[in-house]
Amino acid sequence: MSILLGAGARIVIFGITGRFGSVSIRDLRASGSAVVAGVVPGRGGEIVEDVPVFGAAAAAVRETGADCALVYVPAPLALDAVLEAVEAGCRLIAYPGDGLPVADAMEMRAAARGSGAWLVGPNSPGLISPGRGKLGFMPSFCFRPGPVGLISRSGSLSYEAAFRLSRAGIGQSTAIGIGGDPVKGVTAAEAVALFHADPETHAILYLGEIGGTDEYAVAAYARRADAKPVTALLVGRTAPKGRKMGHAAALIGGDADGWEAKTAALEAAGVTVARSLDQLPAAAGESLARAGLAPAPA
Amino acid sequence: MLMLEAEGKALLAAARIAVPPHAQRVGDPAALAGLPLAFPLAAKAQVRSGGRGKAGGVRRCDSLAEAEAAVAAILATRFGGELPDGVLLEPWLPIAREIYLAIVADGAAGGFVALYAPEGGVEIESGPKPLRYEIGLPRDFRAHEFRRLLEPVEPDRALRERVVALARRLLQVAAAQDCTTVEINPLVQLTDGSLVAGDAKLVRDDAAAFRHADLAAALAAERAREPEDVRRCQEAGLMLVWLEGAVGLVSGGAGMTMAAMDAIAAAGGAPACFLDCSGNPTPAGFGLAFELLDRNPAVRAILVSMFGGGLHTDRVARTLVGILAARGPAAKPVVLRLQGTGSEAATAILAAAGHANHASLEAAVAEAVALGGVAEARA
Repeated sequence: MSILLGAGARIVIFGITGRFGSVSIRDLRASGSAVVAGVVPGRGGEIVEDVPVFGAAAAAVRETGADCALVYVPAPLALDAVLEAVEAGCRLIAYPGDGLPVADAMEMRAAARGSGAWLVGPNSPGLISPGRGKLGFMPSFCFRPGPVGLISRSGSLSYEAAFRLSRAGIGQSTAIGIGGDPVKGVTAAEAVALFHADPETHAILYLGEIGGTDEYAVAAYARRADAKPVTALLVGRTAPKGRKMGHAAALIGGDADGWEAKTAALEAAGVTVARSLDQLPAAAGESLARAGLAPAPA
Repeated sequence: MLMLEAEGKALLAAARIAVPPHAQRVGDPAALAGLPLAFPLAAKAQVRSGGRGKAGGVRRCDSLAEAEAAVAAILATRFGGELPDGVLLEPWLPIAREIYLAIVADGAAGGFVALYAPEGGVEIESGPKPLRYEIGLPRDFRAHEFRRLLEPVEPDRALRERVVALARRLLQVAAAQDCTTVEINPLVQLTDGSLVAGDAKLVRDDAAAFRHADLAAALAAERAREPEDVRRCQEAGLMLVWLEGAVGLVSGGAGMTMAAMDAIAAAGGAPACFLDCSGNPTPAGFGLAFELLDRNPAVRAILVSMFGGGLHTDRVARTLVGILAARGPAAKPVVLRLQGTGSEAATAILAAAGHANHASLEAAVAEAVALGGVAEARA
C-alpha cells in the first residue's frame, strides 16, 4: 500500500498546454499513473500528446473518470483552479506552485477538507508512491518501493535524501512533499497519521527545517505508545535568526523555531535525529530494524 | 513585509480601529517647531527591529526642546543595526493597563488564530503563553467562542466585549489587507476604560502583492533599498543571503542549500552565503553567482553543489566550464559536486576541461573547507 496515491490513479492536469504539460504527461505515465485529461479554460477539444483537453474540470472528470488533479497554473489563478478541482470531485489535488498568498492556501485547504479531499502543497513537488504512481514532478529515479514513509518540507532535500536511502536499499511506501509554506494542505501531523494507518509503512522519515511548528506535530506523534519508529533530519542549524532561508516558512523568529529546540523536542519524544545527510541511511535502517525489517539488497 | 508602526496604524485607522490621535511622523528635529504639538508626547523610533523600547527608541517629551532633542537622538541611533525611518510623535497616553492581542496566520490551525494575554507590553516574550483561539478561515470567527475563552481571565464584562469586538475588526483588516500578522502590543486600556492600539506590528504577505498596489509599491521600494548584489540576485531569480563565513556556497533548492550550509559547519568551516541557483540554472544565473562570490573578499573558496532532479547536470557542467575558463588566473579555488540526472556526462565534460567532479557532498565540503580555511582561521 501507500498513502493517498496508489496504483490506478487517473490524473487531470490543469494548465496542460503550458510549459510543463507534455514533459509531465510522459513522466507521470512512466511512474505508473494514468494521465487522462487536461483542463484549460477556453481550449476544450484540443489534444496534448494524446490527452484530451477540456474547458472545465466537471466535464473532464465526468468523461474520463479522473480522480486526481495536478494544478500547473500561476499563483494568482491557483485558488480558483483548486476550488474547481474540488467541486468536480477530485479526491487528491497537488498544487506545486510557490508564491501563493497565505489567505488562498487557507481557502484551498478548507475547501478540500470540507469535501473530504486532500490537498498537497503549495510549494511542493507533490507525492510519489514508487512503482505505483506519482502526482507531481519529483525525479522518479531517486525513489524505490519500500517500507519507509517519507515526509519532507523541502523538495530538493527529499530528492537527495531519497536517492541516498534507495541506494542503501531503503525504499519508500510514499514520499510526500508537504511544502515550504506556513499554511498548507496535508500537514506534517496529517501525514504521520496517514502513514500510521498504512500497513505497508513500517517506519517514518521526516525531513524538516527551521521555522514553523510541523516538527512539534511529528514529536507529538512519536510520543504515542503505538507510534511507528520515526527518524528525522532537520536542516538550517547554521541559519541566522530573522533571515528567511528561501522557503516562506524557513524563518527563525523565536527560540522554538530554531534547530536546537526542535531537535530536543524530537529526541525527547524518541525520534532518532540524524545530524547530517550521510547519517540518514543508517539511522533509517536502524528504525526499520526496530520494526523488524532489514534493508533490501541495494 | 513587516510594516513600520506608523504604516500599520494608518491601516488600522482606515478600518476605524482606535489609534492615538494627531500622530505625526518626522524625519528632522528642525521640523518640530512648525508643528501643532501637545505635551507630553511620545517620540517613537520607526524601525522594523524588535526591542526598540528597551534600547531608548521610545521617549517621553514634556516640551518642544525635549522633543527636538529626543528626535535628534533617536534618528542618530541604530536599533538592531537599523537606522530609523523617521520618528512618530503621538500624545503620551494615560495608560491604565497594557494588554496583548494578535491575529496570526498559523499552520497548525490551517488558518488564523487569535492570541490574547491579559498582560501585554515589552515583557510579553518572557511571560506565560497567550491564550489561543483557533479561528480558521476569517468567516469562521465566532465571537461567542472567543468570549468563552476570555471569561476566566477577564471578569470585567465591558472590557471583554471591547476585546472581542476588536479581535473581529483586526481579523477583517488581516483578511482585507493580506496580513499574516496583526499584533497589537500593547493594546492600551486608557483611564476612561476605552482601548487604543499603543503599537502595531503588521506583516503583509509578499505573495499577495499582485492584488495590492500599495504592497507592490512598498516591496519595490524595499528592493531598491537592498544592497546591489541582493537586488541583482532577486532580479535574476537567485536567492541570496550573505552570511559570515569563507566558503561561497552555490546550491540548488532551499532545503539542500541549508543542508550544505550545515555540512560546511559540521566540517569545521562556515558558509559565506545562502545562494540558491535553482531558479535560474543558466549561464546568466551561475555567471552572476560567480561574479558576486569572486568579488567578495570574505569568500576564500567556492563550492558548487547541485543535485540534478529535473535539472540536467551535464548542462550545468557545460555552463560551469565556460564560466571557469573566463575567470582570471587569480580567481578563487572552486570545488564542484554535480550529482543526479546527467552526472556521468557532467563528470566527463568537467574532466575534459581539467575539473574534478566530486561524487559526494561530504567529500566536496571537506575540500572546500580545507581550501576556504576553517572557521577559527578567519580574520
